[in-house]
Amino acid sequence: MEDTKPTLVLDHVSKSFGEFAAVSDLSLQVRPGRVFGLIGPNGAGKTTTIRMIVNITIPDSGRIELFGQQMNTALQDRIGYLPEERGLYKRMKVGEQLRFFAELKDLRGKEAEARIDSWLERLQLTAWKDKRTKELSKGMQQKVQFITSVIHNPDLIILDEPFSGLDPVNVELMKETILEQKAAGKTIILSTHQMEIAEKLCDDVCMINKSHKVLDGKLREIRRSFSRNAVALQFEGGDGLLNDPALVANITQNGEEFEVLLVPGKNPQELLRHLVDAGAAVTKFELVEPSLHDIFIEKVREVA
Amino acid sequence: MRKFLAVVKREYVQRVRTKFFVIATILGPLLMAGFTIVPALMFSIKAGGPTRLAIVDQTGKMYERVAKELASGKKPNKPQVGTDPPVGNNNPKEQAEQAGKLFQRNFIVEEVHLDNRPLDQIRGQLDTRVQKKELDGYIVLPPNLLKDEQPEFRARNAADLFTQNHVEDSISRAVRAQRLVDANIDEKAVEKMSQPVDLKTTGAGGKESKGEASFFFVFGIGLLIYMSVLLYGQFVLGAVIEEKETRIAEILFSSMRSFPLMMGKLIGVSLVALTQLGIWAAAFVAFSLWAAGGSSISMPHIPPMLFLYFTLYFLMGYFIYATVYAVVGSMVTTTQEGGQLALPIVLLLVAGFYLSFNIISSPNSSLAFWASMFPFFAPITMLVRIVTETPPMWQILLSLGIGVATIVGLVWVASRIYRVGMLMYGKKATIPEVWRWIRQS
Repeated sequence: MEDTKPTLVLDHVSKSFGEFAAVSDLSLQVRPGRVFGLIGPNGAGKTTTIRMIVNITIPDSGRIELFGQQMNTALQDRIGYLPEERGLYKRMKVGEQLRFFAELKDLRGKEAEARIDSWLERLQLTAWKDKRTKELSKGMQQKVQFITSVIHNPDLIILDEPFSGLDPVNVELMKETILEQKAAGKTIILSTHQMEIAEKLCDDVCMINKSHKVLDGKLREIRRSFSRNAVALQFEGGDGLLNDPALVANITQNGEEFEVLLVPGKNPQELLRHLVDAGAAVTKFELVEPSLHDIFIEKVREVA
Repeated sequence: MRKFLAVVKREYVQRVRTKFFVIATILGPLLMAGFTIVPALMFSIKAGGPTRLAIVDQTGKMYERVAKELASGKKPNKPQVGTDPPVGNNNPKEQAEQAGKLFQRNFIVEEVHLDNRPLDQIRGQLDTRVQKKELDGYIVLPPNLLKDEQPEFRARNAADLFTQNHVEDSISRAVRAQRLVDANIDEKAVEKMSQPVDLKTTGAGGKESKGEASFFFVFGIGLLIYMSVLLYGQFVLGAVIEEKETRIAEILFSSMRSFPLMMGKLIGVSLVALTQLGIWAAAFVAFSLWAAGGSSISMPHIPPMLFLYFTLYFLMGYFIYATVYAVVGSMVTTTQEGGQLALPIVLLLVAGFYLSFNIISSPNSSLAFWASMFPFFAPITMLVRIVTETPPMWQILLSLGIGVATIVGLVWVASRIYRVGMLMYGKKATIPEVWRWIRQS
């Protein structure tokens, strides 16, 4: 995996609007067939970064390379882009709308038609094909918009906040669809400020804050490196068992559940054994990996 | 190129399909017909039927002539000049005469014999009849009418200019004829001798000049450009602003370059305009043919080459001003704002009208040359030059070339502003900012 040529390379890219620096000296690599999370709070520079990747704006300095080529208009057809600011032609019918966006990506005729039908079916919108877009609910419009970004079977799919405005059922549907695309070998860039979602979907992440990169790498490795040796557990019997300063550094209780931070150098196995030996009935025992949210907060504090 | 066509197609189909377009296309000619036919109809409807007049003839010999003249309605010294339309006529009296022609004059005239009664008594009786609405008015011809005594016309509606004019003319003609007879001059011979000359204008080469009709066409074309720009400029504006409001611009820009996008929009909307104008033109021609009832219509004859110029300059004029709307649209966020901003520029076209008066008298002056090269004036000024004294071909081609370059340049500017402006939603651009956007990006 490490050796494959990256799909996308950003090399010391900067962009500012007047005085305001939107992206400062950003370098990152997106590897093929993986879900890459671009995460950070609102206004961090995610959207500007994406706009440079899709060739809407050009960086003030630095280099962007896609599929091994310097960014150019011809490459735009190989990208699918779902912008954060959604927009569809309100008075066009869904089918027409998709046909138009397919044509913009140089896809037309029977093949376009077939793909439109299969995508509408996949996202449960077939019945709406001949309806005007304005008659659709916001969530449905969002799914239509998602189709516009994948209709031409792009190699790189860029989704800016794809889950905002979707109900839980559709969030699941969207997640499934994204993973399907990944399984089909597509490279996906997911921009979001919702860390929990990024946690579940991404293979790699890049965190940015206030135009600067804070952290990047494989999600699993990041989490491991931030691991704080914590355990979440529930058990019955044996009150006060956790009060063992040799083993436990800190306890927080949430209802029935305890989150325990172990003394550095101690193994969770020792805690489990300790509990079982003391006769407690353990109903839950889970190693707690730090959430992206926690990591992000920690990193931002560190930088500041 | 294919993406460009996709944009053209979308803009066209989406607009032509709307109810608004269909209704406007149908209502347009009806409204136009309404504006021309309804006034004519209104003149022709004379409330209360024919005008009933009584004549008190104190001369004793003028009644027959006056009655005959009232019934006929011929103009002295003004032979009917074909079917030429009334030309730039600002004299209200003449206008009234022109309009008066339209209504069917229908007079019922009766003679009131004096029978040695005093005039005042007869007046009293006639006034009563007028009040009772048995009569619309009466004329008193005094004994010395043929010298210079004034005849008198009393009418219920003294403000009815048409009738008043007609009565005056009729009496004048009758008096003139009678005076001639009294002087033993042959009336017919005089009429023949007073035929006015008809000036035949020819160009210096001996070729027959294209004449007045062509001028009307030039101004007609100018007016057409002006009206289509005002009408469809809003459409262009709307088309450019649409994606800003719906935020579709971002997807568009991630799929294609902004120049073909902007060009596609302009062409697409303009095809809508041309479709509508085409339908109207066809309707107009069909209506004229029908109105002429199969007989040959007296359309002014225009040489094919001139027709080609008219078409080219109309298109050039339309597109130049339409692109102004595109540029403005790329700068603003709402259509209303855009309309206000574009209007001053569209008024340049009006300046072209004014310049053309100067050019008619000296079509080869350097003013005429430069005015016909300046793309915002050229559609009118160059046409005026072509019609008066056709300039060398290179000048015509140069002005067309400048026009096309201007259109392309403006579309390029519009697409630049559009792309950069899109990235700063909801922010109204200032001119220096716009200038920076054009250079950067």
